[in-house]
Amino acid sequence: MRRPRGRPQVEPAVPFAAASFADGRARTRGILPRVPAPPPDARSALAAVVSVEPCGDDGALVRLRPPEALPPVRASRFFMLRREDGTSPLIPRPFSIYRQPDGDLEFLVKVMGRGTRALAEAPVGAPVRVIGPLGNGWPTLDGEGDPWVLLGGGIGCAPFYLAIRQALAGMDGAAPVPPEGVTYLFGAATAGLLYDLDAVRALGARVEPATDDGSAGFRGNVLQLLERLQAEGQVPRRVRLLACGPEPMLEAVRDHALDRGLDCWLSLESLMGCGVGICNGCPVPTEPEGPLGAWPNAKCCVEGPVFEARAIASCG
Amino acid sequence: MASLAVRIGPLELRNPVLSASGTFGHGLEMRAFTPPESVGGLVSKTVTVRPRPGNPAPRICETGAGFLNSIGLENKGIDHYVREVLPTMADADTVVVTNIGGESVEEFVQLAERLDGEGAVAMLEVNLSCPNVQGGKLPFATRPEMAEAVIGAVRAATSKPILAKLSPNVSDIAAMARAVEGAGADGVTAVNTLLGMAVDWRTGKPGLGTVQGGYSGPAIKPVALRCAWACARAVSIPVVGCGGIAGVDDALEYLAVGCTAVQVGTSSFSDPGLPGRIAGEMAERLDAAGVAAVTDLVGSIRDGSVRDGAGAPAAPRGGGPCASRT
Ligand SMILES: Cc1cc2nc3c(=O)[nH]c(=O)nc-3n(C[C@H](O)[C@H](O)[C@H](O)COP(=O)(O)OP(=O)(O)OC[C@H]3O[C@@H](n4cnc5c(N)ncnc54)[C@H](O)[C@@H]3O)c2cc1C
Ligand SMILES: Cc1cc2nc3c(=O)[nH]c(=O)nc-3n(C[C@H](O)[C@H](O)[C@H](O)COP(=O)(O)O)c2cc1C
Ligand code: FES
Repeated sequence: MRRPRGRPQVEPAVPFAAASFADGRARTRGILPRVPAPPPDARSALAAVVSVEPCGDDGALVRLRPPEALPPVRASRFFMLRREDGTSPLIPRPFSIYRQPDGDLEFLVKVMGRGTRALAEAPVGAPVRVIGPLGNGWPTLDGEGDPWVLLGGGIGCAPFYLAIRQALAGMDGAAPVPPEGVTYLFGAATAGLLYDLDAVRALGARVEPATDDGSAGFRGNVLQLLERLQAEGQVPRRVRLLACGPEPMLEAVRDHALDRGLDCWLSLESLMGCGVGICNGCPVPTEPEGPLGAWPNAKCCVEGPVFEARAIASCG
Repeated sequence: MASLAVRIGPLELRNPVLSASGTFGHGLEMRAFTPPESVGGLVSKTVTVRPRPGNPAPRICETGAGFLNSIGLENKGIDHYVREVLPTMADADTVVVTNIGGESVEEFVQLAERLDGEGAVAMLEVNLSCPNVQGGKLPFATRPEMAEAVIGAVRAATSKPILAKLSPNVSDIAAMARAVEGAGADGVTAVNTLLGMAVDWRTGKPGLGTVQGGYSGPAIKPVALRCAWACARAVSIPVVGCGGIAGVDDALEYLAVGCTAVQVGTSSFSDPGLPGRIAGEMAERLDAAGVAAVTDLVGSIRDGSVRDGAGAPAAPRGGGPCASRT
């Protein structure tokens, strides 16, 4: 649904400060400010597979060791991954950073096709090209405004494990979010697709699962669950939303937020060719006169993958 | 160390490896992956007179062996390019090539005139061959007299050297190369993408929003290599080979068939460090083969034609070009 034009332009209450977790936008360094560019901290390196563990019905936790450990990566930034032993397709695939155990990079991969299968079936030691960290990541999750509600759908849960950890620890010098200040609604078709649910529950925030078939948690989708929790008074009406999941879910969240005037950030899963801004293959339609400027498309990879709901005209 | 410098018209390139248009941004923003001083040149995305928002999504689609795109020359137009991009390119320590695209001779002329006074631009590459505009009809790339008209008019409008970028979607690419040479091009880039498409038979959905698009990547190398070879045999100006280069040996093959330089396209998506890496590995490869200068390799293919100064290196040990890895 196309939103009315000319919404008032408000600066986000909390600017994307780049302190402890680089958000990778070129303006933080002041180079090439007007040419969309890959983040200044992004590199291309050859990593090795350390382990691959099954996760849920069709996923895997893939742990990679880069030649040099990276500083902590902001949640919802991503890496382009491609096995270099001839088993991956030509074009690398984008994956959110899931965790960074002991300087390694861990990804939660749902098997969709050739690229994801090659990673989920990788033997220990396999060489993997790792390009990143890429993209902007979530805004600063601070403890000082309305509570945060995180909406994850299916593999769209990947950027939320770190988001919760970073929010509770405090981001960019802002006040940490208290455990009751963040509610994570994790939806999936069925219980076996609630990837790594126990681990995210162990972080300390409130976690509420939902499944379409009712095999775990609430029966229904995460927006229905949110409305239920609000009706019961368990979650206030004024919240700040983050969402990642399939496109129809993101469209619904966007409408929900715009209708109620809520701050809302969406992490999009566009098709990507390069991840670094050079192929023009990841256009996201921008809201005319919105905060992204007059150009009709933003590049998901370098201007996203996180967008303010009011900045884009649709989620894909 | 083998010497790597090559010449195109009045320009000396420190090595024969360039980025390909539309696959490396403007080039300089990629410096953390491929430093500009590591390559012979950087070719811009096609710039057009007016801003072009580009084609609807999906614009990219990977297939079994290659890559389809229908970007539709998304760019913010020449005014934006001159005002916002070129200032950032002024101190690039490499040869900056601006690729221009038009829908009429007049548009090409307008672009060439506008860039003529821009010191940051060392060379123009005239895109005669984008399959993603004008419904893939490729008028300038398939009719020698139209290519000649464009290049002749651009020649008259600029003092900068010109590369003419040709399409493989023709039956006689040598005739196209001769036409642009006759019209005053300083070199030929061979080639742009092949026309291609993909479809999911279950849903009936085409892989690209525009149905057809340009096909590229390692899968097209034999086709593109033949095109480059046919051009090199037909003209005496330098040929810049492009298509499917994914490693240093691919690049050296293009030189062997007669190219003076090469461009790396789609494979930069697999690793944006690749153009720099290929250039870096080239001297090592040539040293190991006992080739003193990269120019000695140019045109060394034993295809029965006689060329001046083409010293053929020793044949590689083990496995000819058709060696199968399976
Ligand atoms: C910024 C970003 C972060 C991502 N993070 C993760 C992550 O942490 N874990 C994870 O498992 N996946 C993630 N994805 C999605 C992942 O990149 C795709 O699932 C993957 O590219 C599919 O590749 P494939 O070769 O296996 O499938 P393909 O053979 O390319 O496609 C198989 C099927 O998957 C669909 N598909 C392909 N790409 C996407 C996509 N980007 N989004 C949705 N459907 C797609 C195709 O339409 C097709 O139906 C992310 C995507 C983006 C853009
Ligand atoms: C995503 C994409 C965008 C491209 N855009 C342009 C362009 O704007 N202008 C142009 O002359 N060629 C363009 N090309 C063609 C490449 O420059 C190159 O000629 C072609 O892809 C073949 O080389 P490759 O197999 O190494 O990719 C594009 C190719 C791709 C894959
Ligand atoms: S994925 Fe290539 S420009 Fe965004």
